[in-house]
Amino acid sequence: METLSHLATGFGVALQPVNLLVAALGAFLGTVVGLLPGLGPINGVAILMPLAFALKLPPETALILLAATYIGCEYGGRISSILLNVPGDAGAIMTAIDGYPMARKGLGGVALSISAWSSFVGSIVATIGIAIAAPILAKWALAFGPAEYFALMIFSFACIAGLIADQPVKAVLATVIGLALSTVGVDANSGVYRFTFDSVHLGDGIQFIVVVIGLFSVSEILLMLEHAVHGPSAIPDTGRSMFNLKEMAQTWWGTVRASLVGFVVGVLPGAGATVASAMSYSMEKRLTDKEGTFGTGDIRGVAAPEAANNASANGSFVPMLTLGVPGSSTTAVMMGALTLYNITPGPALFDQEPRLVWGLIASMFVGNLILLVMNIPLAGVFTRMLKVPNWALVPGILAVSAVGVYGVHATTFDLVLMAVFGIAGYLLRKCDVPMAPLILGFVLGGIVEQNLRRALSITNGETGILWESPISIGLWLAAAAIVAGPPVYRSVRRRHQSLSESRERQDALLQGE
Amino acid sequence: MSDRILGCLAIAGAAAMAAAAWGYAAPVEYEPVGPRAFPLLLALVMASCGAWLALRPAQHADWPQGNRLGRITICAGAIVVYALLFQLLGFILATVLMALPAGRVFGGTWRQCIAGGIGLGIVLYLMFDKVLDVVLPLGILHWN
Repeated sequence: METLSHLATGFGVALQPVNLLVAALGAFLGTVVGLLPGLGPINGVAILMPLAFALKLPPETALILLAATYIGCEYGGRISSILLNVPGDAGAIMTAIDGYPMARKGLGGVALSISAWSSFVGSIVATIGIAIAAPILAKWALAFGPAEYFALMIFSFACIAGLIADQPVKAVLATVIGLALSTVGVDANSGVYRFTFDSVHLGDGIQFIVVVIGLFSVSEILLMLEHAVHGPSAIPDTGRSMFNLKEMAQTWWGTVRASLVGFVVGVLPGAGATVASAMSYSMEKRLTDKEGTFGTGDIRGVAAPEAANNASANGSFVPMLTLGVPGSSTTAVMMGALTLYNITPGPALFDQEPRLVWGLIASMFVGNLILLVMNIPLAGVFTRMLKVPNWALVPGILAVSAVGVYGVHATTFDLVLMAVFGIAGYLLRKCDVPMAPLILGFVLGGIVEQNLRRALSITNGETGILWESPISIGLWLAAAAIVAGPPVYRSVRRRHQSLSESRERQDALLQGE
Repeated sequence: MSDRILGCLAIAGAAAMAAAAWGYAAPVEYEPVGPRAFPLLLALVMASCGAWLALRPAQHADWPQGNRLGRITICAGAIVVYALLFQLLGFILATVLMALPAGRVFGGTWRQCIAGGIGLGIVLYLMFDKVLDVVLPLGILHWN
């Protein structure tokens, strides 16, 4: 009941004309950024965040803009997947498997509208999940002391390192680089300047925006150059633009199942939309693909991963809002945006900033409705955007990024730092060093160090406190399991495989005799 | 090979971090963990990662060659020059200057890139500086 009255307050915020306008704008821009191959939600949010700050939007409006952009990107990613077989972002890879064959059959319009619908269902299921789960989790998290927080941060680093990276060492290295970057500047506890090399510009630390724009937007542009420069490809005729009731009934339960899976995966820190859509696609295939039509343009194979992908994007707000630990690199950027406003996400946020939290949740309902309404009739407009040539797009992205960075402090120093981070990010990404742990480390660095020092202050330097309470012990064990689990599992499976292979070989030999 | 270089760079970076952090001490000690401990801890982890990578490198990265490397170098150079000249030349001129090489490496013709750059510079300047109130430098175009 309490939740409903909070939601009413939230809708009061979300339905203010400015916030509605901003949500619609974010939804539109997000869809455009999402559909452009190579640019994903993190780029959209990274480009808009400094602008929101430079435009002096109030925090809840800024957050609504960024959230609408994020969700819009998840809608947009599917368009180029379906029409061109080029996923607009990583979460849309699975959508191409059945979406592109559908488009080739002349059912592109149906694939677009059913995926817009399932994206909507996924987002709404997840947003309801946020409204129910987040306040409970936040209340529970209030019991966390500094030692538990420290363990929680380590757990979330472990999640990112264990789940997304093929090479955990590089994920750990990326995390440490991020943490190290966060220590630059004046140390709040002692007033000592660390790693500033007597530069005025580094006194209050490295600007978050500079790091994000450099590592994500600038390095992305350099990576784009590696793929062959291809001209605008032919877009197949999209045919009938609306799905019918039969198609809706056919996909309904798969969409609901995928939404639930997506939400749960999204809530876990580290595992994002990519994992969720892949999981739900293979689950649907196992459950419903009796005729073996998945992969040849089955509509159920389009609906399920899209629902999961959007549900997980929405779900990743839960850990950010309740624990102050982002669930994805995009929410990490949003958390950084909140800290620009001196708002620290965490359990206390629900008590201290109810307008912000519930306004955001309500605006996610509104934003998704806008996206659904926008995406079905405007599919043609978005399709045409795929034809914007890179020679115009790239300078545009660079110019807007530079404006965003310049808007914060108006210094050449920040711009040069952005360029340096861009080139360094490109080189690191070429070496397979993942960027998500780096940005998570940078965002959480200050909090990790503060909690560690606070915990050790309680016991006067005795480190035992870090693994004393059952909560911290549980988190440490979970972290260890996540890091050690996949490699162990892989090696067990490999042994198993080679075992069964050698058995097959034996069988073949026996038969040969 | 890339992994070995990355590992060695990480060790060097960690050593530099440790050396710089060694002297950090709070003027008044009132907590058991000062400003020095956390950076030193990070340096230790970074050095261990570096050592791992240097000793057990994985597959070698696939670096761009020839033409492609040239294009990436030009684009990276254009971004650095853009950053340096942004304030000096002003937003509009710097953007035109950046859009030319950045557009060329992405397959635009000279004419398209010049027109695109001028259009971008002017439209974005008007939009941000005049409409959205984000102050941008005019640089040498500033006449009074």
